[in-house]
Amino acid sequence: MFRHNALRCTVLVLLAAAALFQALTAGYFGLEILTEILILAILVLALDIAAGFGGMVSLCHGALMGVGAYAYAILSAKAGLAPPVAMAAAIVLTGSAAWIIGAICSRSHGIYFIMATLAFGQMAYSYVFEAPVFGGDDGLGGISRLDLSFIGVDLNDSRSFALFCLATLGAVYGASVLILRSGLGRSLAGVMHNEQRMRALGLTVWRVKADVFGLSGLIAGLAGALAAQHIMYISPGLLSWTVSGEALVVVILGGLGTLVGPLVGAAAFVLLKHELSALTPHWHLVVGVILIAVVMSRANGIFGWIEARWDGRAERRAVKAARKQKTKEVLSDA
Amino acid sequence: MLELRAIESGYGETQVLYGLSLEAQKGRVLAILGRNGAGKSTTLKTIMGFLPIKSGAIAFEGKPIARQPFDIAKSGIAYVPETRDIFASLTVRENLEIAAKRFGGTKTEWTMERVLDLFPRLGERMDNGGTQLSGGEQQMLAIARGLLMNPRLLILDEPTEGLAPIIVKLIHDKLQDLKAAGLSMIIVEQNFGFATSLADDVVVVGKGQVVWTGSAEEIKADEDAQHTWLGV
Repeated sequence: MFRHNALRCTVLVLLAAAALFQALTAGYFGLEILTEILILAILVLALDIAAGFGGMVSLCHGALMGVGAYAYAILSAKAGLAPPVAMAAAIVLTGSAAWIIGAICSRSHGIYFIMATLAFGQMAYSYVFEAPVFGGDDGLGGISRLDLSFIGVDLNDSRSFALFCLATLGAVYGASVLILRSGLGRSLAGVMHNEQRMRALGLTVWRVKADVFGLSGLIAGLAGALAAQHIMYISPGLLSWTVSGEALVVVILGGLGTLVGPLVGAAAFVLLKHELSALTPHWHLVVGVILIAVVMSRANGIFGWIEARWDGRAERRAVKAARKQKTKEVLSDA
Repeated sequence: MLELRAIESGYGETQVLYGLSLEAQKGRVLAILGRNGAGKSTTLKTIMGFLPIKSGAIAFEGKPIARQPFDIAKSGIAYVPETRDIFASLTVRENLEIAAKRFGGTKTEWTMERVLDLFPRLGERMDNGGTQLSGGEQQMLAIARGLLMNPRLLILDEPTEGLAPIIVKLIHDKLQDLKAAGLSMIIVEQNFGFATSLADDVVVVGKGQVVWTGSAEEIKADEDAQHTWLGV
């Protein structure tokens, strides 16, 4: 079950401060990169809830984000719904689709779960790619952003949009913590630990998994609706399994099942991508080597590695303090 | 209350139970005894729906028992496994709440307050993680979690396994209190003295079948049965 500790709070505050500083001071390209990080962070939070806390390693979260993006684009640009309504509908639609996928896949585990989610993702990708209503390979353009002019905010401005995404990420993080600390989160922790035991405690395991996958899908749908507004254009590539694969890489790179780790992973991944792609077109190779190093080090990602060292230091301090206390007692007895 | 008729069950291709029949009476404690590998725990796992029944039938309160573990739990049977299965990442409070939120309420027989009255030690460790508990505390937590399901039948698999004698005595006294309160129980136990001092009825299982049936007093007096089937 998720709990905050001093290290997690510190890293969160540092990340938020860095993002806020960047949002307030960066130029256009800096803001674009920041927004990319923030949207990816929302997606990987969604994946961490399912994979890190529920053991449901999904290869369809890219597709879920794509469903959110396309639903928002179609509902706002083609059906003429007001952007807030279209966004809410897109999120609910994606959450519902994820709940159904979760309910169907919940009886499978490990590699079979991964393959089943991959199949769902590829089905969505193929359909969107071929259906004329979605613009086929050409994708869809002319997507508008939310209108917040009633509170004096113009989201067409890059800085305002980056700040909006940062606020949304903060809200999603808070909601994720609430989900994981709720009764549902407790049940999920039990299911992760021992499914059979939870069944004997009267829990309908598939329902818990479907509910969590559905909530994770809601968040992925939100990331999709923001991604569509960010670029104002979407293509079927958004639903490709490689997007899901990248999200999984980010979660593993940051630290699976830590919530804070994926945020670190999102920032590290996007920054690495941009910095390395300026130097070489084969930047994937470098990211691959880093990922292999992280996996081979047996640490739970970058944040997991830091956390393990932090815990080790705290343990050593406690042992040292206990020894000191004992020596004092011995000396005073003498 | 619970009746098993000619049960055949096992793990995949490996059959362990060969036509096992037994009956647990309401308000009484039934001890299932037997040597290692006799089929005691397999019997419990079959009752709880973790193992499929190849043939035979199980009835709970006169009706065929449900097939799925969660439906069996909902029907009023709580199972405390040998491994205790405390959720390591949850605190004592959260471990208890998993059962309390699902089955509890202010009008139910077993509330959080009542289980903490029964096991005050747990009340002192509510915010400790599951892995920070001793074996005895884990056993108390597992029993408390079972009670919060407000069961009409409590099934315990090897409740004294790996516990120090003083904790075994404590667990014995607590189970005696539950028996006095009228809770029906089935206990699988290797500790002959513990089981027979608690049980009203005893069945001895050997090679997947019931080989001896009687009261606790009768098995204590039957040295032949003890020697032949239990190696006591």
